[in-house]
Amino acid sequence: MTLPAWAREPLVHFIALGAVVYVVLTWGGTELDPASRVISVGEEEQAQIALGFERVMGRAPTDAELDNAIERYVREEVLYREALRLGLDQGDAVVRQRMVAKMDMSATAAAETAEPSESVLRAFYDENADNYVGAPLVSFEQAFFASRASAEAVLGGEVRGGAISLPAKVDGETMREVTTVFGEQFARGLSQLEPGEEWQGPIASGFGWHLVRLTDRQPAPAAFEDVRERVENDWRSAQIEDRKARAFAILRDAYRVEIDR
Amino acid sequence: MRNSWKTAATASVLAIALAGCESEVAVDPSQQGTGEGAIELAEFPDRPYWGDTHLHTDNSVDAFGFGVRLGPEAALRFARGESVTATTGAEAQLARPLDFLVISDHSDALGATRRLYDAPRWYVNWVIGDETVLRWYDMMHESPEQSQRAIGELITAAANGEVPEAMADPEAAAEATEEIWNAHLQMLDRYNEPGTFTALAGYEWTAMPDGNNLHRVVMFRDGADRTSQMVPFPGLNTAVDDLWAHLDSYEQTTGGRALAIPHNSNLSNGLMFEMTATDGSEMTAEYAAMRARMEPVVEVTQIKGDSETHPFLSPNDEMAGFGVKGWELGNLPLTIDTTPDMYAGSYARSALLRGLSLEAQLGVNPYAFGMIGSTDSHTSLATGDEDNFWGKHTGLEFNNEDRAMAPQNLGTRVGRFGWHYLAGGYAAAWARGNTRAEIFDAFARREVYATTGPRMTVRIFGGFDFTAADWDGDWVRAGYTRGVPMGGELTDGGSAPTFLISALKDPDGANLDRAQVVKGWLDANGEVQERVYDVVWSDAATRRRTGSGLTPVGDTVNREDATYTNDIGAAELRTTWTDPDYAEGQSAFYYVRVLEIPTPRWPLFDAVRFGYQLSEDAMADAVAQERAYTSPIWLKPARATAP
Repeated sequence: MTLPAWAREPLVHFIALGAVVYVVLTWGGTELDPASRVISVGEEEQAQIALGFERVMGRAPTDAELDNAIERYVREEVLYREALRLGLDQGDAVVRQRMVAKMDMSATAAAETAEPSESVLRAFYDENADNYVGAPLVSFEQAFFASRASAEAVLGGEVRGGAISLPAKVDGETMREVTTVFGEQFARGLSQLEPGEEWQGPIASGFGWHLVRLTDRQPAPAAFEDVRERVENDWRSAQIEDRKARAFAILRDAYRVEIDR
Repeated sequence: MRNSWKTAATASVLAIALAGCESEVAVDPSQQGTGEGAIELAEFPDRPYWGDTHLHTDNSVDAFGFGVRLGPEAALRFARGESVTATTGAEAQLARPLDFLVISDHSDALGATRRLYDAPRWYVNWVIGDETVLRWYDMMHESPEQSQRAIGELITAAANGEVPEAMADPEAAAEATEEIWNAHLQMLDRYNEPGTFTALAGYEWTAMPDGNNLHRVVMFRDGADRTSQMVPFPGLNTAVDDLWAHLDSYEQTTGGRALAIPHNSNLSNGLMFEMTATDGSEMTAEYAAMRARMEPVVEVTQIKGDSETHPFLSPNDEMAGFGVKGWELGNLPLTIDTTPDMYAGSYARSALLRGLSLEAQLGVNPYAFGMIGSTDSHTSLATGDEDNFWGKHTGLEFNNEDRAMAPQNLGTRVGRFGWHYLAGGYAAAWARGNTRAEIFDAFARREVYATTGPRMTVRIFGGFDFTAADWDGDWVRAGYTRGVPMGGELTDGGSAPTFLISALKDPDGANLDRAQVVKGWLDANGEVQERVYDVVWSDAATRRRTGSGLTPVGDTVNREDATYTNDIGAAELRTTWTDPDYAEGQSAFYYVRVLEIPTPRWPLFDAVRFGYQLSEDAMADAVAQERAYTSPIWLKPARATAP
């Protein structure tokens, strides 16, 4: 993206579009001029229609199908122009919304396609560092007991749990994964414990009771490289919102709004 | 007048200027494809990955009409654990996120009602110019109730082949479908995060001759690079053979993989699992092979009832008949009643048995399928939890007081009520990690199972040399190295097969009552037989087997406040089980059914929350034993697998 800054300004886009509209309205003559009663379906238009058919049906249209498609094109064009002539687009809430959305899009289109430079993204990442701290990863061992008393009985001695189809050792997993496998109750209990070398607990789960040796818990710092995709998505959404707001502010300034209170 | 066309011209020019500006936001390449190589995989499948393969959003013609205004993006956010605002205004969130999701909007008229609704009225009036369509348009805009009425008319019209021509233009529909499909696929790639959350592409093929439900969910292994090369295959006026041919051609053309998952066989009036080919002719080995390859898995439990088996078919199974009430009456719209002679073609267990018979004749088993559950929710909200039930569709969301007792829209006149709906099930896939390829491949090799909502962890391994001592060591490794997991096949070696069976309760749910093995086989006369064995149960010291079966586990449900306690039942059930009725040369299948202790169903939660009494028959069905069904392991006579 090597365009100078002014070329990326929404205001410039609006002025440029305005110029195009002026030219169209002044010279007219295009197929989109609703004032015209001429609909020309030249070779180019026909090729477009045929191409549209082919993209959908996976083959070229037969002559009859092409005639059909042209007839439909003409019908839509005639009715569209007549609808405009009758002002049917006026006061229609859906048309209104569509046009408003298109104005917003014209302000943000550049942000959708912009290729931010590495330094822009790094700056954005630094500014919003809090959003890019990974979920904490935990490592622990657990021993299962059917009752609280049987768990407490072995605490301080040799810890051997009962049989259950749960992992005895968990190595660097997210709390989301721990919750999926051990359940919410266990996850809550685990988050109350501080890391250490000793067996702790017992903590309750939907299965029974567990002694836990929580060997490690740390927030995984997300390196810029690892979250580059997310940073770029976030930067883009921020840009879009920002541009929408700025474009609107420029237009809004030209209006005097009177609200009776 | 002059001003108005100037405005319009401006809009047109804007539209042209902007058309060139739309472009896709870049997506991380690892999110786009099958996910192979994207994450480190476990040596063996390490846990069941939980998902819903059957969810409708506002792109579904009926879901939109029923009122849903949440789209696929909200559906993905909800499934991965975020809070979303449901259409009717309440906040919805899953207590535990899902691992994967298939959004399966109807291929027919994909996005059509939403497009109709969004169109300006003058366009509907002038360009479409059909009185009926305009009336539906006005009804949809008038109120949610009117909108539901309009869509009821539309479904009836579709079932009777009377959809207004203006809406049924195949070319225009194909164009719209392609546009929606491609945008949808791009979004799936954005939400697909290998290792965390898998977004699989899919759609629903919705054929229902005479209202007999033959629907299939189609699911893809691939990213948008492949899936965008074809559009969803229409269900109206096509046969399932055409769908298979289409999917086969997709695989040939793109090098991708696809499969189809039949659902609601319980509403097919016997047409889902016939003894003949689709057109009634004699089934051929080619047909059987095609079906077996394209349809390795069947969805046996969902909101519109459970299709494991019917008490009529399994009179000696005292636990048969879960989720059968109401649904057993007739086909989908209840235009044709179901008679008992149709049941065998409508339920999964009898289909598995038919598969053994057909295999004996043809050399190929068309019905050698695994089993999953899903929701079939039409609210964009994939939840199968009894205490978090958001309804079949938006008219029946969480805050609708009447939903349990009101007649519901499919077959209202003849006795289907809200409380007949189940809360919906989930699909569990044994995979080595959470990627598209791993999840899809688990389905393809049938290493999947169904639950009616709870997330219990169920394993079964079949082999010939397992012993109780295997439980003391790494029994999962033993299972995979010396036997086969669910979905696998054993070849008869002259001795009875032995199974390692483990069922671990849902960590946040109810305890377990029992685990059973359901065996089906061909006897010496070539007749199909079935038997249910209680193989391991809780409180074994006090619960005895009597002439009328195992002593029931008990019932702790308080009907006044919809609570239960885990004072009964077990956290885990394990056993090593050898078939006591093995006979050499028998063709058989074995699957595990796990039962929870009794818990409240959603209508009881509703009755307590809103403070009303359920009717007597609704109350009798308000407490149930939720369950899991594994895919079978097949035991094949040595000759059947010889080259």
